[in-house]
Amino acid sequence: MEILKDASASAIYGTRAANGVVIVTTKRGKLGQGVRLNVNAYGGVSNRIKSIDVLDAKNLAMLKAERYTNDGLAVDPIWLNPQYQTQKTDWQKEVLGQGSTKNLDLSISGGGEKSTFSISGGKYDEQGLIRNSFFKRYSMRINSDHQINKKIKIGQSLQITSQSGTTPNTTSSQDGLIWSAIRFHPGLPVKNSDGTYSTNQISSQFGDINNPIFTIDTQDRQSTRTRILGSVNGDWEILPGLHAKANVAVDANFADSHEFNIQVLDQIRTSTQNSRSVSSSKAHSLLQEYFLSYNKKFGNHDIGVVAGYSQQTFDYTDMGATKRNLDSEDPAQRYLNANGGTITNAFEGRSYDAFQSYFGRGTYSLNNKYMATVTFRSDASSRFGPNNRWGYFPAFSLGWRVSEEPFFQTLTKAISSLKITGGYGELGNSNIPSLQYLSLMGGGARYSFTGNPVNGVSQTLIGNSNIAWERAVMTNIGLEAGLLQNQILITMAYFNKQTRDMLLSPPSLGSLGNAAVPFQNVGQLENKGFELELSYRKTMGDFSYSLGGNATYIANKVTELYNGTFLGSQFYGRSSSEISRTYVGQSVASFYGWKTNGLYQTQADIDGDANITDDPRNLNGQIKPGDVKFLDLNGDHIIDDKDRTIIGNPTPKITYGFNATATYKNFDLAMFFLGAAKVDIYNADRMQGLDPTYPFNMYAEVLNRWNGAGTSNSIPRMTTARDNLNHRTSDLFVESGAFFRLKNLTLGYSLSQNVIKSLHISRARFYLTGQNIFVITKYKGMDPELGIVDGNRQINVDYAQYPQSRTWTVGAQLSF
Amino acid sequence: MKRIIKITGSFLAIMMIFSQCSDDLLETTSYAQVTSQGFWRNGDDVVSAVNAIYEPLLQENYFGHYERTWDIQSDDMWRAGDHGEDQSIEFFTYDASNPKLIDTWKWRYEMISRANAVLINAPNVNMDVAIKDRSLGEAYFLRGFSYWRHYLIHGEVPIFVEEDIRAGKLNKPKAPKAEVEAQIESDFLKALDLLPASYQSDPDNLGRASKGTVYGFLTKFYVTTGQLQKGIDAGKHITENALYALAPSFNDNFLIATENNSEILFSMQYLRNWTMDNTPEIYTTPRPWGGWDFREPIQDLVDEFEPGDPRLGYTVFKVGDMVDLGGDAGLTEYTADLSTSGYHFRKFSSWTDGGLNSDQNAPILRSSDVYLLVAEAKVRLSQNGDVELNAVRNRNGLAAISGATMEEIIHERRVELAGENERQQDLLRWDKAGIIDIVNLYNKSRGPLKPARTFNRPKHYYFPIPQREIDLSNGVLEQNTYYK
Repeated sequence: MEILKDASASAIYGTRAANGVVIVTTKRGKLGQGVRLNVNAYGGVSNRIKSIDVLDAKNLAMLKAERYTNDGLAVDPIWLNPQYQTQKTDWQKEVLGQGSTKNLDLSISGGGEKSTFSISGGKYDEQGLIRNSFFKRYSMRINSDHQINKKIKIGQSLQITSQSGTTPNTTSSQDGLIWSAIRFHPGLPVKNSDGTYSTNQISSQFGDINNPIFTIDTQDRQSTRTRILGSVNGDWEILPGLHAKANVAVDANFADSHEFNIQVLDQIRTSTQNSRSVSSSKAHSLLQEYFLSYNKKFGNHDIGVVAGYSQQTFDYTDMGATKRNLDSEDPAQRYLNANGGTITNAFEGRSYDAFQSYFGRGTYSLNNKYMATVTFRSDASSRFGPNNRWGYFPAFSLGWRVSEEPFFQTLTKAISSLKITGGYGELGNSNIPSLQYLSLMGGGARYSFTGNPVNGVSQTLIGNSNIAWERAVMTNIGLEAGLLQNQILITMAYFNKQTRDMLLSPPSLGSLGNAAVPFQNVGQLENKGFELELSYRKTMGDFSYSLGGNATYIANKVTELYNGTFLGSQFYGRSSSEISRTYVGQSVASFYGWKTNGLYQTQADIDGDANITDDPRNLNGQIKPGDVKFLDLNGDHIIDDKDRTIIGNPTPKITYGFNATATYKNFDLAMFFLGAAKVDIYNADRMQGLDPTYPFNMYAEVLNRWNGAGTSNSIPRMTTARDNLNHRTSDLFVESGAFFRLKNLTLGYSLSQNVIKSLHISRARFYLTGQNIFVITKYKGMDPELGIVDGNRQINVDYAQYPQSRTWTVGAQLSF
Repeated sequence: MKRIIKITGSFLAIMMIFSQCSDDLLETTSYAQVTSQGFWRNGDDVVSAVNAIYEPLLQENYFGHYERTWDIQSDDMWRAGDHGEDQSIEFFTYDASNPKLIDTWKWRYEMISRANAVLINAPNVNMDVAIKDRSLGEAYFLRGFSYWRHYLIHGEVPIFVEEDIRAGKLNKPKAPKAEVEAQIESDFLKALDLLPASYQSDPDNLGRASKGTVYGFLTKFYVTTGQLQKGIDAGKHITENALYALAPSFNDNFLIATENNSEILFSMQYLRNWTMDNTPEIYTTPRPWGGWDFREPIQDLVDEFEPGDPRLGYTVFKVGDMVDLGGDAGLTEYTADLSTSGYHFRKFSSWTDGGLNSDQNAPILRSSDVYLLVAEAKVRLSQNGDVELNAVRNRNGLAAISGATMEEIIHERRVELAGENERQQDLLRWDKAGIIDIVNLYNKSRGPLKPARTFNRPKHYYFPIPQREIDLSNGVLEQNTYYK
């Protein structure tokens, strides 16, 4: 696997390379190697790493009742009912159990005089942490290369993968399983004594969540996907140094999904009728690439020229249907053709897109000391309107191998190699949905008149006829050095990437209504920083080891927005809390909210607080001791929306990795550590989890709430009122997302040569692998690695996403 | 070198053969989707576009539930449910970021934008003239209705009509109140000219806006804006026209079999297996009966009913009522543990063997409302409103009143329209007209669920414009005066 980040190096890969290129080279045979059989088998278990500590039934009832007492209201009787004060269920434990993994890979590869081949097959079988969830994958790959004659080579790859799995909902903060498990009433059993599932229909005090185990046990959602990826390539050496190359590839994807939702009458989110939904899609992509390359050495001059053309088309069709109210829910009758019911929805769609590119590259090297590369490409994408389809993207780079200079030779004992590079490159990005330049009308606005169904058609997409290429303009300067006979390798780079005409679909004025807002070229983003990589390798007799590390420092900010002063993002949860905004001069998707300064401890604190002197809620006596003291930033002595500001940065300034390998006699050890620093997380799940105005279970931390002067300065009082909005978006819920994690550890043992020879095998290695073995972090949520939602507009917001698990596997690799 | 050029040339030629011509390759088609230029071909397209204007009425985040939340401020009900933000609406401590504000704002403008699309395009379509007139009339009415809702909730809002859309003016400042009123009146009057009187003889279209719908809303508009005589004149078109007669029984308005009777001037038309979730029904129904338990009526409302008024039994579930929940559940007793206040509204619920019956419509405007508005306007103009008031009372077998006063009309409206999203707007109208004192009314405790609340006059007559809109408008949109 090779990673290209340098602007000029990525240029040849075109539109899809704006964020760097990862080249995965699959296994191919070697000429003259004979035939070899490899087996790799492993199996293991996975477990949840962490649960959120939530209240037990007794404390939940106590704290919920305390809200009413504090507010001078009668306590809702459900909280005084002893039936719901006995701890019954740890829902997180019920939902996230133990998972398992099994994998088997087989491969045969070989090579004769003219041809090589590799055939491999694999089977992967995973049971998820969530009960009844699974993922299976079967794969097969055939690669071969043939030397037809002295001048012509052809090669072929064919890969078929088929995967299937369940698709439980784990992401929603309205009804996702993890979110639900944290919030479902702990005093309810999984099942009642009569065998029925416990339910929140008992009281609206218990929230609108279905019993998560009921959901897990009854949900029937699966999807399958088959992918066929085939390619043929040829290389004809027309004259010495002049090659014509062609590559034709097809990528076909066939996906199916189906679900059956049973009738639900005794949970709070009911479905009065059962329903069956199926959908399937077909996607075909055809890629053609043709290159002509010429390399020639004239004395000290190395010259290379490449010219190329490529085109890729994408055809997609999908169809599906939903039927409601089927006669039977028997698993054998969960099909559209089964008796009863009405087809309430049927659809068929189609889309087409294409890319087309011309490119050229020239390279020149003098004495292998001075190097230069120039690239130019023109790309077209059908995603843009007819006038904006073509984009033109130049790139160049220069290199100087300093260690080849005569003056350097005295230093080569210490510095064995030294190279300085610099480059500039532009790349286009058109990764947006189709047809954004058109105003589209869509059906589906259903209404009825006196029982007659009618269909309504309305504008579904506002067209943006000006939409055009996003352009990443990258400059970089680098230094590569090898010290002590290249035992130590150092790479350093400075990079500056300006993303111009950034493509995003920003939220827009409600007065435009509800039609989808198209992607727009919204502004310019800057990412600049340093990268450092170090590696060290040493062998001492039976013992050899290597150490490597890399670190990246990135400063990320938006430098220009064309329309408006900020980009908004989606809101969180019931209260529609706004969390992320992108402003000029700030990092993308910065956290945006109120600043706080502890809690009011006494009425005197409130009376003396200049932040709220004119705040009507204060004048009405609606702010109480135990409420959060928000800061009045605009000086009007009222706390309102105008006092919000940037309160956190979700983009890690520093990310780093560290790997170590060691072998001693027959043992080998590899470790990979990963970390991030100078990064914030907005813990939205905790914001809601501490909020007593929601009808949900709360985080156990709430036991340390304010309940009298001096009892707490960070966890507000219990109340049913939302007058002070204690749990609005504020710095109380911004946490450091710094972490250091042992991502992977592998310990292996290979049988010694004498043993395996007697077994007629060429290699036998047994290993133990652990993933996510430990993490050092102060972050309070389940997992500090959260990622992006809502396009690029919201980052590192904790919605109680499906967390990573800790996995242990044992395996064996055998070669014959 | 020559050979290289020759070879290069033939290679390029082969390439050109394999690759398609570039124009074709990049040409996309909007398969299965119509562009707005390709739409508006005929009458069917226009009717589809008009149907779409009605659809937001069914949205949970608009008329299905959110737009009904404002009524929890009244003295009829307690918010119940589990939407934390409702507490601040009920207690007048909401801020400009309340989620109920954000979504209702957007959906009103979505209806306006769908109506504008029809008003811009339909005139140029070659189609049946009667249907074209009806379609334009519906678009005018539904646009006027959306501005009317905007006006009740926010007072002053930006106005977008055909010219703004044509000119691409999509970020405008608020129009003053008088302009919003003028827009509503003008849309309603244009609709009046174009719409048929009723659809009782055209049952496939029963449920579309008719002249009756528009006269009803015009009455409400005139009475609300203090143009009382105009209100009476408009209202007479309802009270003196058999096409809009009161249903024989009050309860007919809330039964699926009779939910499109002559009294229903405008309603949300749900259809099982076709339209979206029936949220007026789900939200007000007790939890164990398949609902979400919002907006519970309180004792104060129940006490308002006169002894023997049959409407109480049709308006609320109370302890001891036997209710047919269909299927295995069958006849089931309404017990005290189903609610906190002791009651639920029953106007919006019915059941089949498989739980709630989502064919149930929810009325938006009934003739009886207009009768009482006409009575109110007359009494406020020192005329006699007995005829209209007694028409409503007689239907329920209640004694006629002679020389009706505002007090009696206030009472009648409260019991007749309970739960139908009218009470808070009624109280605001009467307070603005100096008929009642809403500050005193709300400063009185009505039990632990409805303690005394502080109403700041005039601030709480209107809600703020959603903060999100102010922020996104780049300084164009100004917040309402009392929320700055």
